[in-house]
Amino acid sequence: MAAGWGVGGGGLVHILFSLRLNRAAYGINSILYQRGIYPPETFTRVQKYGLTLLVTTDAELANYLNNVTEQMKEWLYKCTVQRLVVVISSIESSEVLERWQFDIECDKTAKDDNGPREKSQKAIQDEIRSVIRQITATVTFLPLLESACAFDLLIYTDKDLAVPEKWEESGPQFIANSEEVRLRSFTTTIHKVNTTVAYKKDSVP
Amino acid sequence: MSQEDSHEWELSKENVQPLRQGRVMSRLQEALSQQDSSSHTTVQLKKKEFEAEIRFYCGDDPLDVWERYIKWTEQAFPGGGKDGNLAAVLERAVQALHGQQRYYKDPRYLNLWLKFGDCCNEPLDLYGYLHSQEIGTTLAPLYITWAEALEARGSFRKADLIFQEGLQRKAEPLDKLQAHHKQFQARVSRQTLLALEESPDGDNMGLLEIAEPQRSSLADLKGRGKKKVRAPINRAGDVVKVINPNRSCQPQASLQLPNTPGFAVFDENSVSGPEIPTLTAQSWPAPPVPRAKENELSAGPWNSGRRPRSSVSSGLEVPHPLPSFTPYVDESAQPQMMTPCKIEPSINCVLSTRKPEEREDPLQRVQHQQQDAQAKKEMVMYCKEKVYAGVDEFSFEEIRAEMYRKKARKKDEDEIQAIERKKEEIQRKIEELEKKLKKKEDDKQPQPHEQAAEVMGASTPLGMQGFTFPSAKEYGEKQPQSQSEFQIYEDTQLHKPSCSEDVGLLRPPAAVPFFSIFDESSALTNQNISCSADHRQKSARQPLSVHDPVDSLSAKESRAATAACDEVNGIERLSEDAIVTGSYKNKTLCANPEDTCDFNRAAHLASTPFHRVVAQRVPAPAFSQSELKEDSPESKSAPLNQETPECEGAYTEALSVKKLSPIMEASLEDTHSSGASVSGGSLSSVTQTSDIKYLQISEKLELAQSLPAEVVTDSGGGNFTDDDVAQFLWSPEQRKKLLGSVLSSLAASPDFHLEAGALPHMVVEKDVELGNETYCIKMEYWNNEEYKMFFAIPTGCSFQWDVKGFAIKVYSQPVPWDFYITLELQKRLNSDFDQSFSENCNCYLYQDGCAIVHKDTNCFTLMDILRDRKFITKEILFLVVHDLLHVVEKLHKAEIVHGDLRPDVFFLGDRICDAFSNEEVPNALKVVDFTHSLDLRVLPRVSLPSNFPTAQTPHGQQLLAESSFPYQVDLVGIADIVHLMLFGDHIQVYQENSIWKISQNLSKTPDSDFWSKLFERILNADGKSTVPLLRELREEISEMFDSSFKERLLLTLAAVGETFLLVDFQ
Repeated sequence: MAAGWGVGGGGLVHILFSLRLNRAAYGINSILYQRGIYPPETFTRVQKYGLTLLVTTDAELANYLNNVTEQMKEWLYKCTVQRLVVVISSIESSEVLERWQFDIECDKTAKDDNGPREKSQKAIQDEIRSVIRQITATVTFLPLLESACAFDLLIYTDKDLAVPEKWEESGPQFIANSEEVRLRSFTTTIHKVNTTVAYKKDSVP
Repeated sequence: MSQEDSHEWELSKENVQPLRQGRVMSRLQEALSQQDSSSHTTVQLKKKEFEAEIRFYCGDDPLDVWERYIKWTEQAFPGGGKDGNLAAVLERAVQALHGQQRYYKDPRYLNLWLKFGDCCNEPLDLYGYLHSQEIGTTLAPLYITWAEALEARGSFRKADLIFQEGLQRKAEPLDKLQAHHKQFQARVSRQTLLALEESPDGDNMGLLEIAEPQRSSLADLKGRGKKKVRAPINRAGDVVKVINPNRSCQPQASLQLPNTPGFAVFDENSVSGPEIPTLTAQSWPAPPVPRAKENELSAGPWNSGRRPRSSVSSGLEVPHPLPSFTPYVDESAQPQMMTPCKIEPSINCVLSTRKPEEREDPLQRVQHQQQDAQAKKEMVMYCKEKVYAGVDEFSFEEIRAEMYRKKARKKDEDEIQAIERKKEEIQRKIEELEKKLKKKEDDKQPQPHEQAAEVMGASTPLGMQGFTFPSAKEYGEKQPQSQSEFQIYEDTQLHKPSCSEDVGLLRPPAAVPFFSIFDESSALTNQNISCSADHRQKSARQPLSVHDPVDSLSAKESRAATAACDEVNGIERLSEDAIVTGSYKNKTLCANPEDTCDFNRAAHLASTPFHRVVAQRVPAPAFSQSELKEDSPESKSAPLNQETPECEGAYTEALSVKKLSPIMEASLEDTHSSGASVSGGSLSSVTQTSDIKYLQISEKLELAQSLPAEVVTDSGGGNFTDDDVAQFLWSPEQRKKLLGSVLSSLAASPDFHLEAGALPHMVVEKDVELGNETYCIKMEYWNNEEYKMFFAIPTGCSFQWDVKGFAIKVYSQPVPWDFYITLELQKRLNSDFDQSFSENCNCYLYQDGCAIVHKDTNCFTLMDILRDRKFITKEILFLVVHDLLHVVEKLHKAEIVHGDLRPDVFFLGDRICDAFSNEEVPNALKVVDFTHSLDLRVLPRVSLPSNFPTAQTPHGQQLLAESSFPYQVDLVGIADIVHLMLFGDHIQVYQENSIWKISQNLSKTPDSDFWSKLFERILNADGKSTVPLLRELREEISEMFDSSFKERLLLTLAAVGETFLLVDFQ
């Protein structure tokens, strides 16, 4: 993994990867809490990035998320991930109600670059923080999820990637007649993440 | 979209109410950004639009409007609260749609009620009402919402009852209801279990309840105590609940279940029966007693419970205990990251809102309103439902404006359609006519009659619109498109019937209908002949039907006509000289009437056969009247018959070939106008004129005084001195003569009243009785010996400047001349006769005078505008000049010369005096006075315009040559009025290179280009036809009336209106 890296630069990149991954996990946690997919009592507060974040205490969920982040870590390192999507759908009708999409632009030259890329951890954290804050704030415009919901994680990768165990291929699960809102984006110099949320539009404009 | 802009919503997230159905991001952005920039107008406009739509909705689904309005309000006012006034909108909607049975099963209607329920303090009552009224009882959302509300209050049992009821009724969508019911049951059972586990004696507080005591929200935290300052611990939570009842999260309604320890397991079978009927039995009309009022202190002894407030000294520095937590501060926090201020000062004017003292709950208000409506039997005498339909109050003006706009839109559409139709029609007609023309041409080809062919040949190159007419009958038909094309001299039309008859006479077998095209020159050359023929015919043609010239070709009639001819021919010799004189007289170009050269030259015409005017002797005066009556419809249609002269052309050619010597033909040019004048004379049924005329002239007017009546009939007697002629022209005797013939037709008018006795004396501020009406004279416009003009109002009314009254024209002779002219105008102008003239006039003819009452007249005249220069703004100036040109154009079209255009004969029309009224008021000026008017159809060829008052003014004398057309008199009048309006003084002219110019320097006036052009054209209009000229100028002005003109005019009028009403009249 760290074979060819210099100590300084490689270390930084690694840190950034971890950050990114943590962020992804926290982001997903945050969404699951905010949108009430899991009962609120199954979350616990954690201080991170200067924010109080809620992390699930549900063992099963935590396991699942860990599983995903592990896989993600690998892909992220290889820069083969294009997009991470959290799909929230109604359990009964299995209709897609919300679609959170994190577009990841990987700078594939980063692996070959030897020089470290300078961006302070604090700056990155600030950016991540603002995204998480925005996720919190989306309740102002998102519709109420009235029925019980489940979530799905979709990961878009480069085409040539082999599908690992426990993963399966799926469609994009778009929402027909949706309203899309772009949230903030952040960059780690290697990965640039754009966040978008799509939700069902009300029938009357 | 920049990054910052697109994340505006994040900064205001605390001020945005979440919506069940979510928000549209673009709307949210818009609403938030607009609040900042205080450009709230678009939102307000949209709101206004909705309000208007609610009032003027004509479709069959008013709920739709309300629904859209409510949804929009939700989206556009993210903050909720007062500025959106959603609660008020919902309340109105519920009221407006109250009792509409057809919506009771409509999910939208139920949704409306449920949303309204969210605004109420006691939504439970509302749900009960909905249930009892069967509103939405077939829909699941009612039961779901109801049960949720009950659940939130802890009435789990009742909530379950509600679900049961819904399931029983099979409310749609049933699966949704079932799912909710299942979830509800799951929640309840879990909570019960938890509650049982954790606190056996506790209640059903949620499992998130934290054990440690909590402070109640909004409680007093100020430190108290003298020595030991402590913030009061006002604990809340399950432990303290009993002590602090006001903080209870459950209303203390008797309806609700007490907090029983241990949840009673619901028994479906035992409970569902009796509980529901109590709900349905709940009668709506009785408003529920206000309950669960917060912050209400229960009564208790006053002296207890006092707290030692005085103990806190404000000066004392109180060391507050340091908080154990550190508030997080964002390192990158910047001042511009501040949450934008959401208070829009123009909306949130707190002081101005009136708080409803009673009926705090909107639900109760709705209830009361409905009860009131049932109880009170008041009749509302204004459009209350429109004023109060929406949330905002509309003023009457707004409602009227809206209705006006609607009407105007409709009218515009109609107009466009009408124009389209007209266009098509005209197109069709043109095609038809072209086809006919072609056919005629083909028909004519083999015709041996060369005249007709010739005429036709001539017509085509003239390039005029080739109208063909299959029969003479069609002459009388209206051809609107050709009406304005040409101007025809009156005398030519008068002969029309006889012309066609003559044609028949000359070519009896053919009876070929002529198509013909007006050719002025040919008409002129042939006039004298035609008219002589005409009169001969007229005299003999009594039994003939004038309207059917073609039919009159029967042998008998031809014989009669020939007989008449013979007769006339016999007489003719006697008066040859008269003809000569006629021609002589009418040679107005001749500078000196006594020039013997002219006389001698005219004498050569001795043998001309054209002057058969003498035939007029044959008809007795009695006959002439009927004759005239017969004529009037003819003359009405006359301007339309461009073709007539052609007919004349044809037959007069023939005539001249037979009867005229070559010399006579040559002299036609000179004599034509005499013919015209003679024909005029003939109409007025004066017979012996010709001879007398001759005498008169030769004896140098010696007889003029002795025979005024006869002389004036020949109004062409242009060589008289001004005074004489003026007297003759306007003399009552002469008019009496003229009117004598039409008096019976005048008398037939319903507005004509023949009164016995003498004309009442009229004095300002005295009442006067005319007919059955009594009028109070309020002012006098002018007064000379014979004519007076008054303004009057009905007796008993109080006089106001802006109220319309009656203009009363009094003439000291029993000659209803004005009335006659008005009637003639009405006849000749048809649809063009509008408010520019008196549409509503009554004539009272007394033995020694007459009074003409013009209804609906404003008391102001153009003179009043001229009194103060500041009234004459650009808009008023153009408007007045436009209407002035228009009025005169119409007069001239009807062949009437006004002759005395002064500012004070023009009453102001509604366009100026009543500009703010609802109706279309196209006219700014109104002419009712025709004292010096001349009907050129009856008195054609008045060659000397100097008889008119206008012509006697200094500028009139300069401008009007003896040879001028009478129409030019009015042009001079117009020029003077325009000059008065522009400069405030009378026009002064000078001649430069034979072009008349005004002495005033126009260059400083605004629009000087137009005005100089106007003056140049009006002052130098010699010989040109006035109607096209006036029309051109008028259209040029109307082009300046752009879309904003109307508004600007109204503004000007509003500005001057105040002062205008205060104008001192006397």
